[in-house]
Amino acid sequence: MIEASSEQIRTFLQQYIVEKSLAGGKESPGELADDCDLLLSGMIDSLGLLDLMGAIQQHCQQEIDFEALDPEQLTVVGPLCRYVSEQLASR
Amino acid sequence: MLPEAGGSWASELGRQLKNSAGSSSVAAMTSATRPLWAGFMRAARNFPQRPAVVAERETVSYADLRDSACSIAATIQRYSEFSSTQLTAVLAYRSRTAFAGVLGTLLAGNGYVPLNRTFPEGRTHAMFERSECRSLIVDAKSLPQLGCLLEHAQQRILVILPDVRDVAPLAAKWPMHRFVASEDLSPASHWQEPALETDGLAYLLFTSGSTGTPKGVAVAQRNVISFLDYMVERYDVSEQDRLSQMFDMTFDLSAFDMFVAWERGACVCCPTQKEIIKPDSYIRNNDLTVWFSVPSTAVFMKQLSLLKPGSYPGLRVSLFCGEPLPVSSVQAWSEAVPNSIVENLYGPTELTIACTLYRWDALHSEAESEMGIVPIGYPYPGMNYLVVDEELHEVSPGEQGELLMSGPQMSLGYWKDARKTADAFINVTDHTGVYYRTGDRVRRPQSGAPLIHLGRVDSQIKVLGHRVELGEIEAVVRKHCGSDAVVAVGWPRTSSGYGGVEAFVENQVENHHLRDAVRSELPEYMVPRKFHFSDRLPRNANGKLDRAAISKLLDGKHD
Repeated sequence: MIEASSEQIRTFLQQYIVEKSLAGGKESPGELADDCDLLLSGMIDSLGLLDLMGAIQQHCQQEIDFEALDPEQLTVVGPLCRYVSEQLASR
Repeated sequence: MLPEAGGSWASELGRQLKNSAGSSSVAAMTSATRPLWAGFMRAARNFPQRPAVVAERETVSYADLRDSACSIAATIQRYSEFSSTQLTAVLAYRSRTAFAGVLGTLLAGNGYVPLNRTFPEGRTHAMFERSECRSLIVDAKSLPQLGCLLEHAQQRILVILPDVRDVAPLAAKWPMHRFVASEDLSPASHWQEPALETDGLAYLLFTSGSTGTPKGVAVAQRNVISFLDYMVERYDVSEQDRLSQMFDMTFDLSAFDMFVAWERGACVCCPTQKEIIKPDSYIRNNDLTVWFSVPSTAVFMKQLSLLKPGSYPGLRVSLFCGEPLPVSSVQAWSEAVPNSIVENLYGPTELTIACTLYRWDALHSEAESEMGIVPIGYPYPGMNYLVVDEELHEVSPGEQGELLMSGPQMSLGYWKDARKTADAFINVTDHTGVYYRTGDRVRRPQSGAPLIHLGRVDSQIKVLGHRVELGEIEAVVRKHCGSDAVVAVGWPRTSSGYGGVEAFVENQVENHHLRDAVRSELPEYMVPRKFHFSDRLPRNANGKLDRAAISKLLDGKHD
């Protein structure tokens, strides 16, 4: 189990999205803004987000309960990173 | 009657079907004497205040949805000059207008062509152009894509906008086309019941073609009715049921959710684009009773620990279709749904949604499964199958070959493409009727046993002269790597086939012992020379592993 700041989660997310984009033949999206919606921007699809949640859990080496985070926020970079960080800190 | 321009291919196929004297398909075909919208209208009469659909988090009653749909239908009927093709496109995504648009199209006597604003504009434009639709229904959030359809339109298009009050800016921008705003829709009471056509279209859906050009599969209302009649009886669907709609309308499995529900007055629960990513919450918050998704959703839910035993007691029917169903996923799912039957459905779009099924049974099914994949089971009533070799001769029981199917769910063929239709819908010596070549490789079952799906016909390759089934390699790798998502690819290409095989594994953690484990079960020429670990493999728009895109990754890796 690790603790991670919101910034560290963002770094992981950034790396994940860049790899994903390149693997899918897309251009690298560059720096992810706080209000970037991964789903609505088309960077990632719904199954991809399920996979991302699994990847975050693996990275953090613990189960994260995404239940409390509203789906509207779950796909937005800033709220997602802060939520994961808070979840880790509260354990 | 089919559209004039498409008449040649369809009438020929229809003639062959009708000449297949004695086949059960003919009896079933002629028994489908009601339009596809009839079930919805009956439910709307019987249960006007019950929920017909939940879309954009709003519940719409049968009475309200009927009014919206009839109003759209009456509008299409009012502008009869746009009816040269009996198809209407629906550019709408998980919205009330999407459902009203589908129903309104059918009520007008047309088939619907679903378009998806989350698809690339070029693909949407190609589908619209190939369909030759003259009418189009658009919801509010899809308006930004309207331009890509209208800019290059050669003919005048009727654009129905139930969510837009002021169409003047659109009319000014595209004066050639006719726009109808919400307030200009015809009253629902003006709807007139259309004549019932034998081959009246239900929908035109586009599937990926091997050449890169989407193929339009023309599915008749009688095809869907035949499917529906079996499904509603088998699952005893009632007005109390609440069905998931995980599939976009551009995926034909969405037709199950809508029409099975509406046939019996049940509710279609359509998650928003964002709600889809929390399937566990969606099942609970919406009191779902019937679940239908691609197996990949179950695979991810298992990875996220969302399939804990007893998690979803409200589900009574769980169905999976669209790609091979791993045994490990169905076992986890079954434990999470203690009150649900679990079935694996199989069927290409050309055979209307699904045409074989297999009920998972914790006691016996694992033994009936092969290579870690659940059988595809038994054909639907009236559907006949053959398992044939490359010369189209039936193979012996226990042997493998290509699956051909025939029966009342066999679609009309490819839209305005007589050559592709003739290639895929064929006559077989010594067998009456027309059969569809599925391109899927199966084992011809011994008496009473289920059909086993072994992969695609084209997934069998030659490696250094050996005939190799990529699915077999994938099954062994899957068993040892802890991931259900595995794709094996022939590489490098040689003049006679391939020099070897490489495997892609959806797993973040490299498994250095994998090669040894696989080597203990496969001959050397089948052991992947290289394993590529990726935390997510490319999938297509329907969530299936995208074999072509994965193969392309190799081109890059070996440059």
